[in-house]
Amino acid sequence: MTSHASTPAADARPARYLLAALGRDPVSCIALAMLTTLFLCAALAPWLAPYDPLQINMSRVLQSPSLDHVFGTDGQGRDIFSRSMFGLRVTIMLGFAAIFVGGTIGTLVGLLAAFYPRTDTLLMRLMDIILSFPAILFGLAVAAIIGSGTTAVIIALSVSTTPLVARIARGAALMVLAQDYVSSGRAIGLHDWTLLRRYVLPNCVSTIVVFLTLRLGQAILLGASLSFLGLGTQPPTPELGTMAAQGIGFFFFAPHVTLIPSVTIFLLVLSMNILGDSLRDILDPRLRS
Amino acid sequence: MLRYAVQRLLLAVPVTLGVLLIGFILLNLVPSDPATVRAGPSASAEVIAQIRTEMGLDRPLWEQFLRYVGNVLSGDLGTSLVNNMPVTEELSRAFGATLELVVLCLLWALPSAILLGMFAASRRGTLWDRLIMGGSVAGVSLPVFLIGMTLLWVFGYKLQVLPFTGRGGPLWTVDGLRHAILPSVCLGLIFIGPVARMTRTSMLETLKADHVRTARAKGLSERVVIFRHGLRNALIPVTTLVGLQIGYLLGGAIVTETIFSWPGVGRLAVGAIVANDIPVAQGAIIALSLGFIAMNLIVDLLYAALDPRVQAK
Repeated sequence: MTSHASTPAADARPARYLLAALGRDPVSCIALAMLTTLFLCAALAPWLAPYDPLQINMSRVLQSPSLDHVFGTDGQGRDIFSRSMFGLRVTIMLGFAAIFVGGTIGTLVGLLAAFYPRTDTLLMRLMDIILSFPAILFGLAVAAIIGSGTTAVIIALSVSTTPLVARIARGAALMVLAQDYVSSGRAIGLHDWTLLRRYVLPNCVSTIVVFLTLRLGQAILLGASLSFLGLGTQPPTPELGTMAAQGIGFFFFAPHVTLIPSVTIFLLVLSMNILGDSLRDILDPRLRS
Repeated sequence: MLRYAVQRLLLAVPVTLGVLLIGFILLNLVPSDPATVRAGPSASAEVIAQIRTEMGLDRPLWEQFLRYVGNVLSGDLGTSLVNNMPVTEELSRAFGATLELVVLCLLWALPSAILLGMFAASRRGTLWDRLIMGGSVAGVSLPVFLIGMTLLWVFGYKLQVLPFTGRGGPLWTVDGLRHAILPSVCLGLIFIGPVARMTRTSMLETLKADHVRTARAKGLSERVVIFRHGLRNALIPVTTLVGLQIGYLLGGAIVTETIFSWPGVGRLAVGAIVANDIPVAQGAIIALSLGFIAMNLIVDLLYAALDPRVQAK
C-alpha cells in the first residue's frame, strides 16, 4: 500500500522524482529506453514502416534478413519489419484494453465493497470465485462461446484482471476510508458519490496504477499466447503472437519468421517487468533503503 | 489434519458445481447449433429437427442442466461432433498425457528452483545472486512458444539428440522418457523464475529470524542451520506461490502441448475450439478446471503439513 506513504519530494513533483530514481539504476535506464523505442515504433508504425504490412508478394517469399527487408519476409512475402511494427501496435493495444476494462470494473467493485460493507462479502466472494480460475481457461471458454478473435482475448484478459484489481482497490480504499478527512466529509453531509469520486478514488489511484503496470506485461504475454494458439487475433491482421504461429510451418528453414515476433514480445515484456519492479521498489517505502 | 483435509474437500464441492454450470452455459451460449453441426452442412431441416430431439435440445433449459449434471457425474460428456467418439474416452487418454507432462516438469523444476533460490540467498549481493535473479526476471518475460521453439530447433533439429513431436509411450520406457524431455523442460523453464525468486526472498527473511540465530549460537553446522531450520520455514510462502503458479503452469502446458504435438488435454481443447467441436471443448475445459482445483487442493494440504499453525486452526 503505497499511496499515502509517499515522501514530500514525491508529492511535489512525482514524475521528476520517479525519473530521477529510475535514472540511478542503469538496468532500469536500458529498460526505459527499450520500452520507449518499442512504443514509438508501435505509435509511428503507419509513418515509419517501409512496406504495407498486408502487401503479399509471392516472388519474395521467406527471404532472410537483408538491406531491402531488415527482418526478412514471411511465407507470403510480406515484410516482417513492417508487420512487427503494426503487430506491436495490436499486441500493446490488447494489453492496454484489457488493463483498462479490467482496471475500471475492478476499481469500481473494490471501492463499492469498501464503501458499502453490506456488499463486501457478496462482491469479494464473487471476485474470489473468478480468481480461482486461471486466465487461460477464460481465454479458452470465451473463444469457445463467441469464437476466436481480438474481442475474445480482451474479454478473457479483462475478466481475469478484474478480481485482482478489486482486491487491491478495496485494500487501498479501506485505508483511505479510515482517514479523518473522510469522516469530516461525511459530517458536512457530502453525498456518497462525491465522497468516493473526489476523496477516496484520487487517493487510491497511485496504488492501482502501480499494480496495473506490473500486470500489463503478464496480460500482453497471455494475449500473445492465446493468439499463438489461434484463439486470438486472426490473420491477416498482424499481431505478434499470430505472426509467430504463422512461421511454425517453415520453422526449420526460415526460423526468423517465428523468432522475430517472439523476441519482440520478450523484449517488450522484459522491459515492462524490469520497470514495474523498479517502480514498485521506488514507491514502496518498506523496500527503500 | 484430517479435519482440515475434509473441510478443504467440502469447500471444493461448490466450486466444482460452478465449473459444471460454466460448462453447461458454454454448451448453450455457442452461436452454432450443435444439432446443425452434427447433421453436417447438407442435412435437411427434418433431419436436424430429429437430431435435436435425439440430443434433448428441445427440452426446457433446467431439465437439460439436470440431465447434463447427471450425465457428467456418471462419466458421460457426450460424443464428439467431429469423429463421433465418446468425449470421456478422448479425455481419459489425453488427461494421462497432460498429467505426465506436469508431474515430470514439477519433478525437475521445483527442486532446481528451490536450490537456485537458496543458492542466491546464501550468496546475497554477489554476481551469482544477480545472475540468478536476472535470469528469473527474463524467465517470467519469455513467451512459452519462444522457449519451446528454441528447444525444438536446438535439440530436435540441429543436434538431433531428442525427439520433438508426440508422445513415445509410457514414461517408464526409454522412448517415452526421451519424448517427454523437451516438453517438460520447456514447461519447467517458465516455472523456475518466480519460484526461485520467492525462495530467495523467503530464505533471506527466515535467516534473519531469532530461531536461526539460536541454532547458529548452539554451534550447529551451517548446512543443518540452512536445511533444517531455514528451509522448512522458508518453504511455507513458496508453497503458496506454487499454488498461485499452477494456473500459469496450466497455460504453459496448453501452449507446450501445441508446440510439441503432445496429445494432452490442452491440445485437445484448442483443437476442439478451432474445429467448433463444442462437446469436446467443454469436456476438456471442465477436465482442465477440475485438474486445477485438484492441484490447488493438494497444495493446500501440503501447506497444512508444512505449517503447524494451519493444522492447529
